[in-house]
Amino acid sequence: MIDIQATSKEEPIIVMTRTLDAPRELVWAAFTDPKHVSKWFGGRGFETLVCEMDVRPGGKWRHVMRMPNGAELAMEVVYLEVDEPSRLVWQNVDHGQRAPGEHPSSVMTVTFEAAGNKTKWKLVARFLSMADRELANRIGFANVIAEGNDRLVELLRTL
Amino acid sequence: MDDALSATLFALADPTRRDILSRLARKEATVNELAAPYAMSRVAVSKHLKVLERAGLISRGKDAQFRPCRLEGAPLRDVAAWVADYRRFWDRSIDALDDYLNDIQKKKRRRT
Repeated sequence: MIDIQATSKEEPIIVMTRTLDAPRELVWAAFTDPKHVSKWFGGRGFETLVCEMDVRPGGKWRHVMRMPNGAELAMEVVYLEVDEPSRLVWQNVDHGQRAPGEHPSSVMTVTFEAAGNKTKWKLVARFLSMADRELANRIGFANVIAEGNDRLVELLRTL
Repeated sequence: MDDALSATLFALADPTRRDILSRLARKEATVNELAAPYAMSRVAVSKHLKVLERAGLISRGKDAQFRPCRLEGAPLRDVAAWVADYRRFWDRSIDALDDYLNDIQKKKRRRT
């Protein structure tokens, strides 16, 4: 499990951290080389159909996945900052173009900090507003909601 | 993200509507039954139901008088499947990345 914090009262951010048992250069490659990214991005049950990356400021990352339910999911982001091997910043190509509350879009900052032979991975998702952050937070529970109505009852109470 | 998904997210953003869904998850109910515990009018509850129906989260029975409401699971599963930039997506992804990094390092060590 990664450590997730979405409690900042001042800033509309969600922060996730995890220490990975691999040197930083390798983790950087795993995040920026499509041949690696297509192997893990999305996680179990997700199959990468397209992964095109142009890793430089202004370059795009287009990713199409087949989800466990068989439907395809496409995402397209643009890199804002690329600082090998320590920092990547990207956002959806349509970031800020949708109505607030409709689609919680965020600017993603990923940093890689060397810790001996390990790497501290940190992701900061910065939303456009606190409301968007809260919505994204709630949607995070939606995976579990889908698992069954009993759990849905429990979870809707906690939202 | 498509419009259906936006409608689902909008519908889920309201606490009363989430409460209605959690009650329908247990059993079907009429508008009157649903409205009973709330301090709002039946009309206000009907408006919430319209939003939920438009999002495909509930369906209404044909019985003209009672039209019982029933939870529909499919849009919730679609929301669950909508995974761009939120935490569960990353939780799962980084799990997979961790496994992948371990695999390729093991292979490398075996080669050397």
